[in-house]
Amino acid sequence: MGADGDSGDSSAVGGRADSATIHIRCSNGSKFSAQTSLDATVGDFKILLAEKCDVPAQQQRLIYKGRILKDEQTLESYGLESDHAIHLVRGASPSTASDNIAANPGATTANNSSVPGRDVDSNNGGVSGDVGGGAAPLFTGLGSNGPFGTGYTGLFGTELPEFDQVQRQLTQNPNMMRDILNMPAIQSLMNNPDLMRNLIMSNPQMREILDRNPDLAHVLNDPSTLRQTMEAARNPELMREMMRNTDRAMSNIESSPEGFNMLRRMYETVQEPFLNATTMDGNTGSGAASNPFAALLGNQGNTGSRDVPANSTATRLDSGNGSPSPNVNPLPNPWSNTGGTQPSNTRSTTLGDARNGGFGGLGSLGIPELERMAGGIPDASVLTQVLQNPALSQMMQSLLSNPHYMNQIFNMNPQLRAMMESNAQLREMLQNPEFLRQLASPETLQQILTLQQSLSPLLGRLQSNQFQTTGVTGGAPGEAGMDTLMQLFGGLGLANNTNESNNPNAPPEERYAMQLAQLQEMGFLDTQENIRALVATSGNVHAAVERLLGNMGQ
Amino acid sequence: MGSEGGESRVVVPRNFRLLEELERGEKGIGDGTVSYGMDDADDIYMRSWTGTIIGPPNTVHEGRIYQLKLFCDKNYPENPPTVRFQTRINMTCVNQETGVVEPNMYPMLCNWQREYTMEDVLLGLKKEMSSPQNRKLIQPLDGNDDQRMEQKGFVLRCCIL
Repeated sequence: MGADGDSGDSSAVGGRADSATIHIRCSNGSKFSAQTSLDATVGDFKILLAEKCDVPAQQQRLIYKGRILKDEQTLESYGLESDHAIHLVRGASPSTASDNIAANPGATTANNSSVPGRDVDSNNGGVSGDVGGGAAPLFTGLGSNGPFGTGYTGLFGTELPEFDQVQRQLTQNPNMMRDILNMPAIQSLMNNPDLMRNLIMSNPQMREILDRNPDLAHVLNDPSTLRQTMEAARNPELMREMMRNTDRAMSNIESSPEGFNMLRRMYETVQEPFLNATTMDGNTGSGAASNPFAALLGNQGNTGSRDVPANSTATRLDSGNGSPSPNVNPLPNPWSNTGGTQPSNTRSTTLGDARNGGFGGLGSLGIPELERMAGGIPDASVLTQVLQNPALSQMMQSLLSNPHYMNQIFNMNPQLRAMMESNAQLREMLQNPEFLRQLASPETLQQILTLQQSLSPLLGRLQSNQFQTTGVTGGAPGEAGMDTLMQLFGGLGLANNTNESNNPNAPPEERYAMQLAQLQEMGFLDTQENIRALVATSGNVHAAVERLLGNMGQ
Repeated sequence: MGSEGGESRVVVPRNFRLLEELERGEKGIGDGTVSYGMDDADDIYMRSWTGTIIGPPNTVHEGRIYQLKLFCDKNYPENPPTVRFQTRINMTCVNQETGVVEPNMYPMLCNWQREYTMEDVLLGLKKEMSSPQNRKLIQPLDGNDDQRMEQKGFVLRCCIL
């Protein structure tokens, strides 16, 4: 799409940090894009455009939002933003346009030269560093920016000399990134693990990291990990969302007293075990792929590295919580689902894991923190302590309040999706933000914890039983896990009678009275239609609006 | 968008409708041969809009840029917006004095349906320009966008005098 050319031009002419992509639509139907800084004047912009189309600047008429742009005004003053469209018409008479611009050319060139292109770099370097590295200092080992940051650099850095410029362009223009990643050539590249490995290994920086940390190498050598990372990268919304959430979460934690120390401790105590667990999980997980819960488990480990930005927070969180409390119970260790650490009872742990996994899987949907915490902390007091940290709950809220983000996470995880597709009820519950919010509320977490603790002796018994009847229950762990999961949900239902999903008997008007009122306020006046939408979306107002508007469009 | 049809059961509230039109205008989604946007970004009622029609080729209007004001009152989209040409134009459905598009001369406005959008209005007018009765009409000298404003000011000045 000729994006490369654009970017080069823009940095030469616009030369300021906040460059925006503007789509130009010509009167003859052709389209192209240009990058400019928004504080450039319209006159400057026309000169830039003149290089890309055959209409001289004097004859250009630019129209935006129904207004003809005047040369001496800045683009910003018209409210122009990135990704907006400007219409370009060749003026019939150059006279009207030319008197505006007559004095300008000299001035514009002076302007251009006075802004050195280089000073941009420091800014943008900062930006791109930020993106991957919000958590970098703490997390270099696993590299929250590993697959992300180094993924690109490894890929593009080896091929293009000016890779930092390219990288800058890419981080600024996620659409371009998506275009690139959607190109068949790149796709086939991604699907070729050998090639990818070569690319990564040919980057000295990357190789060093891998040498230092062999576990990471395992992860990176797994083609599906790479693919998944790329998928995330291809979707600019998702990527931005993840970055933002991580950053926010990190800053929240760091700003709370002791938070930083907690993070450091977590890093020290759990980083290594986690890495071990991750890679081992991968193996067992793929082996057990037929069982959704076991697969989920494997996944749970893997997501740690795949959805890195989101989960890195989680890892850190739980690790701190896990370390201070001695674990007396034999089972509820989230890491124990690796064949490596408890090789003696792999068979039987499936059940125990399924339990954790059922719950953990839930968490990994979008509340990684929750998952790790609940799985990893058998000590209620520690949990309480953590849960009462307002910063944490705020963080969870921000994660949970975005159904879009949640959905994307659902869809990114194939096993999860498969599971949800096979179980409509579960899906409905999980897509209900109300439900998730309740799930994340401190009270609920404590309830779950109590439940879990009371279950664990029982579980021990079950475990031994199962050990003896391995043959019989060989296929059963999944179901058993399901039961347990249901139990968990049941507990939730008791704890929160307001939860709509568990209360299907009330008429929808009553169940969704609040949501109905909201819709009315927004101007959706057809009550019947509103109820239908709310029922279909399990009371999610946002989704209901989407649905109502979606109906309209068709 | 809504114009492509089918009766829709859901009534889209005014705000959602206008916000959607705003986005389409800004991003140039849709047909893309007309341009429109909101005048005052701070007006929460999103009433006053500006639209631009590029004169269709092979007519007297070719190469001209026509600017229009569209005003969506609180009853939009139940009722049509009022449409007024700011640029002077000689067209059958346009009042020569005020530039207002006469609803009774322009079918889209008098047979208004709430699915119609401002984009539809502008596209309709553009189509109207290339209709047989309009494509050859003699037009005022170059329809500068300030012209009608100027004229108004002139009238005002005369009145004061």
